[in-house]
Amino acid sequence: MNARTQLFELSMEGRQVDEAVASIFHSVLFHRSLGKFKYKEEGTYSVGTVGYQDVDCDFIDFTYVCCSSILLDQTLKREISGFSEALRSTGSPGSGQISLEFFQKKKNRWPFPPECIPWEVWTVRLELIKLATEHERQICREKVGDLLTDKILYITEVMNRHDYLPKMPNQAELDLIFDTSYPDIQPYLFKLSFTTSGPSSTTMGNTMKKLIKETLSM
Amino acid sequence: MQDKRDLEKFIKFMALKAAQIIIQSRSGDKVFTKCKPNSSDTDSFNLAIQDVPEALTEAKRVLCKDIISSSIPLCIEISLKTIEGDTMVLETWSLSVISEHIEPMIQLAFTIYNRMGILLKSLLSVSRITPAYKLSRRQGSDSYRICYRIYMGEPQLHTLGDNYKHIRVGQLCTAVGIVHLSVSYRTKMTISPTQTGRDTIMLKSDHFHSDLSPKHTRYQQNEESSKSLYDTVKIGAFVVNKQYTTNEENSHGHIPFSSLLMLHQTSSPPLNSVNQIVNATSIDSICERVIDTCNGNEQLIHNNITSKCNSQNGSRRSSCSTSVNEDFIMVDLKTPFAATNTNSDLGTFYRECQSAPQLQAFMEEQTLAQQVGDLTKQLEAFETNMHLYEDLLTSLYKCENNI
Repeated sequence: MNARTQLFELSMEGRQVDEAVASIFHSVLFHRSLGKFKYKEEGTYSVGTVGYQDVDCDFIDFTYVCCSSILLDQTLKREISGFSEALRSTGSPGSGQISLEFFQKKKNRWPFPPECIPWEVWTVRLELIKLATEHERQICREKVGDLLTDKILYITEVMNRHDYLPKMPNQAELDLIFDTSYPDIQPYLFKLSFTTSGPSSTTMGNTMKKLIKETLSM
Repeated sequence: MQDKRDLEKFIKFMALKAAQIIIQSRSGDKVFTKCKPNSSDTDSFNLAIQDVPEALTEAKRVLCKDIISSSIPLCIEISLKTIEGDTMVLETWSLSVISEHIEPMIQLAFTIYNRMGILLKSLLSVSRITPAYKLSRRQGSDSYRICYRIYMGEPQLHTLGDNYKHIRVGQLCTAVGIVHLSVSYRTKMTISPTQTGRDTIMLKSDHFHSDLSPKHTRYQQNEESSKSLYDTVKIGAFVVNKQYTTNEENSHGHIPFSSLLMLHQTSSPPLNSVNQIVNATSIDSICERVIDTCNGNEQLIHNNITSKCNSQNGSRRSSCSTSVNEDFIMVDLKTPFAATNTNSDLGTFYRECQSAPQLQAFMEEQTLAQQVGDLTKQLEAFETNMHLYEDLLTSLYKCENNI
């Protein structure tokens, strides 16, 4: 099965990275999270309520809405700050990408672990820029805000399409579709991953690695 | 049938929640609602949308009249109102159900319910990115307030100015039609006078007599001699309305100033000998009288001098009016843009005399206290300079003795 992939390419200052990525991923997760399922007898269940909150950005002229779940925010922030630090570190090439991948699990025969099948991937590719003056920063602040506005609109457009979503599972298979580890919210299973890539060095080892990777991905 | 009724109920619920989301997002405050693992009955669509009672009542009142359809959408208009009272419509949200495209495949109520929840989440996200959101966060009682209006019917998009933008928040296929949620918002954020809805000042262009218009007089200069000035005189816009008497006896239309003289002879006792003499119609004699009245400090011309313009017959004419108080209203008839005529020197002279500035001595009238104060000062000065006078006297005395 092919996963839907969405790619956003942005360039901004280093200090804007955390907020920009968080605004995109939080908006996606807000749409992709349900209230907690509470099972009663005979297969019936009730669905909890999703709370939300406004978040103002400090380095971007932008406000976004996200789920008011502290734990979900922590998960997201942890991964995003890892990416941001790697991107802004001294040895960094100044560009990289971070992905939010939704997947469902498929049980395998013992002793193999369940297989993860992605069904939607949101990728943000970033390039860092350096600004000299405060005036340029102010312009960048507004510009990134405008860019994020477009991204949010695109996200809502995708969310309201009648695209594939994993089927509502029964109680036994709930963990294969949803992340049930959060006490207050139930997002679809997701994971975050990032890479920082620079201009590829043409050593033999790298070329071989690339070849093997490409062969495997085919 | 039951499904359809349920669906219509869902749509109505969704409309009420959408109204809440939009109105709350423009309150200027940040919104925070808690996640609840155990859902309560009031939380529709598994979303913790709080209800503002006032907005809920208003939305319910509007919604009870009609069922939302493609021709009658539910609209929520957000506008800005300044403390000066100027208003500007910022955006119009509209929720409609397009029944022409009915989804034949009947979906489960649960799926529809979930999708409505997603649509409301999208509305939450989109409501934070239109320009009105930033404006609403900056509102204050000393600058402007954000107002809302809920109505059923075609969205009034003409109020959004030129180049307004349209965003589709989302849509949802149901058995009764496609539920469509969108927003149109203003991009030009300047308040122009035409948008305030205030009445402009009504101007009536009949102040000047049509016969006196420069165009008219230019071509009919030779024919106007028969016209009496009294017929053409109009009171200036801000002049105290005084009764114009147009006595048949006084209307010596052809002779400049004759009426002025006549009026004075009859209405007031002679002030001096010159006045009595003046009954001629020659310009010289009129001049004499004018000078005389000026010198005699007789204030004939009131402050309310109204100037009007005319160049009839190439000469200036003045008309006067009289009242019980013997006030003059000098109406200087001079047509705008008309060429000045050398023959009008008399009129100029007359006017200059009448409007001669008051003597400064009379302008700066001191109070009694000031005058007394000055006197004491003067006396003091004289006393201090006493020795000078003494010296002078002694010197004079010496001189006299010497002689």
